[in-house]
Amino acid sequence: MVINQPEMAIEHADVLIAGSGAAGMRAAIAAHDAGANVVLLAKGPRRANHTRMSGGRYNAVSGFNPQDSTDAFFADTLESGVGINNYRMARVLADEAMDRAFDLEGYGLAWDRTDPSKYYLSMTGGGNFVRSMGSVDEGIGITEVMLHQMHARGIRVCDFHMLTDVIQDDDGRVVGGLAIDLSRGVWRFFSSGAVIIATGGTSQLYETSSGPAINTGDGIAIALRAGAELVDIEFMQFIPISFVYPPSARGYTLTEPAHYGKRHTDPNAEAAHLLNNKGERFALRHDPVRKEGSTRDVLARAIMLEILEGRGTPEGGVLMVPDAAVFDSFLKERPIYVKRLLENYGEAQARLQAPIQVMPSALYTLGGVVVDTWCRSGVPGLFVSGEAAGGVHGANRLGGSSMPDIQVFGRRSGMAAAEDVRALGAREVRGIERAKARAQTLEAAMHRPDGVRPPEVKKRIQKLMWDHVGLVRSGPRLEETLRAFREIREQVLPNLKVTAKSRVLNREWMEAIELENLLDIGEAMAASSLQRKETRGAHYRTDFPALDPQWTANIVVQRKGANLNIEKRAVVTLDPPSAVPAAFPQPARAAAR
Amino acid sequence: MSAAARLPRNTTRQTDVVQHGTIARILHRITGSVIVVFVLVHVVAQSVLQVPAFAAVKAGAPWLPVVQNQSWIHALLYFSIVFHTLYGLKLLLTELGVRIGYRVSVWAIVAVSALFGLREVLRYAGL
Amino acid sequence: MTTTTITVTAEIRRFDPAQDAEPHYQQFQVTGMDNMRVLDVIRSVYENQAGDLAYQFACRIGRCGTCGVRVNGVPVLACQERCKPHMRIEPLTPFPVLRDLVIDRTEVEARYSELHLTPQRTQAYTGKAEAIEPALAEHLCHLDSCLACMVCVSACPAVAERPFDGPAFVLKLRHMAKHPADHGNRLQQAVDGGMLECFGCDLCTQLCPADLSPAQAIREFRKELVFGTGKES
Repeated sequence: MVINQPEMAIEHADVLIAGSGAAGMRAAIAAHDAGANVVLLAKGPRRANHTRMSGGRYNAVSGFNPQDSTDAFFADTLESGVGINNYRMARVLADEAMDRAFDLEGYGLAWDRTDPSKYYLSMTGGGNFVRSMGSVDEGIGITEVMLHQMHARGIRVCDFHMLTDVIQDDDGRVVGGLAIDLSRGVWRFFSSGAVIIATGGTSQLYETSSGPAINTGDGIAIALRAGAELVDIEFMQFIPISFVYPPSARGYTLTEPAHYGKRHTDPNAEAAHLLNNKGERFALRHDPVRKEGSTRDVLARAIMLEILEGRGTPEGGVLMVPDAAVFDSFLKERPIYVKRLLENYGEAQARLQAPIQVMPSALYTLGGVVVDTWCRSGVPGLFVSGEAAGGVHGANRLGGSSMPDIQVFGRRSGMAAAEDVRALGAREVRGIERAKARAQTLEAAMHRPDGVRPPEVKKRIQKLMWDHVGLVRSGPRLEETLRAFREIREQVLPNLKVTAKSRVLNREWMEAIELENLLDIGEAMAASSLQRKETRGAHYRTDFPALDPQWTANIVVQRKGANLNIEKRAVVTLDPPSAVPAAFPQPARAAAR
Repeated sequence: MSAAARLPRNTTRQTDVVQHGTIARILHRITGSVIVVFVLVHVVAQSVLQVPAFAAVKAGAPWLPVVQNQSWIHALLYFSIVFHTLYGLKLLLTELGVRIGYRVSVWAIVAVSALFGLREVLRYAGL
Repeated sequence: MTTTTITVTAEIRRFDPAQDAEPHYQQFQVTGMDNMRVLDVIRSVYENQAGDLAYQFACRIGRCGTCGVRVNGVPVLACQERCKPHMRIEPLTPFPVLRDLVIDRTEVEARYSELHLTPQRTQAYTGKAEAIEPALAEHLCHLDSCLACMVCVSACPAVAERPFDGPAFVLKLRHMAKHPADHGNRLQQAVDGGMLECFGCDLCTQLCPADLSPAQAIREFRKELVFGTGKES
């Protein structure tokens, strides 16, 4: 069946940014301020992003805790990341986080204070020092002040524009981005000197997740297809506690037990207790020292194992027993969370007077595209920042470190992209034919008379990932998953069809395009998980349950033709190499089961 | 303090709520219209009844004094005047900075206005 | 936790401006847990019965503010509102409809943009913590937790009848007005936006999914009209 060439508008931008979260917005602001003409693509309405949903805790060395230092923050990041972070990026994060926090204050965000000029700080699970700032409006406040900074600069934001691919010339250099305007069903090719991918993570790969519906890993898959490398993509952070019901709220993060106990402000105090259906504090078996104040990876695994081994509640969770004494400060700091607890669970739970049912949920993509400290990927003209980029957090992220990550590296990606475009000078429009050809391929599902609907396939992939490439992994199941993915790719994807023939807001069509991205990343995650024969941070294998020092290394994945090339690579350390400062005594880590 | 601290609202049943403000606004509008209509009708009616030049019209409308003495018309009028005044005062005061809750105030004003209306009914009933 | 299942009826307004002469309503039955939200019902319809349904959501926990719809005539966030046995689900008025339940927010963004909602400073930002009283900082953050969901604008009777931008815009102006570093003439902007048309009915306060009161912001501006702002602009 002949498909006519789809309609495609040609547009221009110096820097094209995909993603309307804080990383994309900060990149837009930085690139604009450096003189570039910027276009930002938001997959839906611009406020629909993961930053919006965040509790907004922001780790930074503000000077208001004299015991803390950027060395300590750096050391905490490496310790949480179990030594496989990109040291240089982690160092940059520690050094620049506070400056970016001040930027947000300049934008109009009023950080919580104890005194007029002194910020209120709290703890985070797994960290060793009190350094997290926050604001009562959380991720909503951060996104709002940034959106208005974008308006003030007149930066063009295109809602309902999904980036489907970057277009490259024969040398592999990015010459533009292909996007579909979902609100009209029209293709747009943005000829640009640099494309910044800030499309967030892959939480939607999993059946139970905390992120927004749009985070299907589009940008990471696009980078992979463009020839970029992915690092440690097998590492997926599961938030240990999230809502169990109602269906719409299932999986939404409740952050960490540390915040429901006195440990929220005192590193030596207790976090909220976690109990199985026998009333046992099972977390003690996994981390006898920090107990429920442990890192997210340890806690999430502990809870998942209890549920899998039949010691969970009938609804499939465990119970968290908060400390009612912290209710007043909890209400003051996080009224939005109290409201959700009230609406989803009830008044007693909202007042922290009754046990709260919780379960782990897929939250954050720890790995991602390989970039340097200026967010340059291996593909010329392609930049990646935020959750889509890998390396900063290693094997497990500290709570509160994503907010500074997206500001620090969002800005760097914008600055670097603008600089590259300036150095390029005048350019001609190239890549239109390639863009048209790719658009035509992606039209296929719209024109197929019969076949499989995308929502069913998505659910199947999500279940496979949750069951086999989630918190608990093993060799045979990973191999089984890879076989299932191969079958889906070869037999199901070519038979996708959409019900609606309207080109306007065709969700099934969007999901059909997303499916290729989900599959690309799912395969990369399963294959990398198979390769890493150990347990470290968020990656847990029942057949290799111990940490293996030989695996203090990264796994790098790259597409070579139709195959995925997987290799082990040394961790990027500081240059020149220097001893990682030991700012605190190392806590004993319980051996994983 | 914990027990007394007010929780955020549960806003998951908004389609079921009684929209106090809508009721207040509509009542304010209706009572305002009642007052305006009353004034117009009252002026006309009193002219017909009092002005010698309209004696012929008065003769042709023997029902007019009867209508004027209906208790429910008086009740409606007094309710309207009291409601419109008090609610208008509430709006004015809130704009000057006085904090008045939108829920209780509407129903309190309705209750007071209803009392005045009831008073008319009782007066006509000879009580 | 409740484990009862129920069956609800959803009558959803279908309209494709490019193809349909006028909207029509399509009825669906959905079975699920009785603590389902309207969004769960809509998603079930899309996944099992009407794959061509156009609807918008993202966070599904009441933070992105993009899933606003009218249910039985009342504007709500679909992800927050509990399902009812019979629901008529329509897009938010008075916005242009892209298709079915999805509205076009272009003009909303244009209006926000015109308000210049960044601190209009008379002195450059120092680059350090600004001196803001803790209670004021908390209040500012409360004001800035407005989701821009447009539920209040949709519900407002003055918006329906009069030239008034809507409560949400005045709330955002109030956030800036109270910010110590802002010296814009926010009162004038509020008046220009039609703030004086407000009936003071507090329907916006009652329906706001973020527990905010645009009506209170309007009242505070109105008081300033009489007594002055106490701030140089």
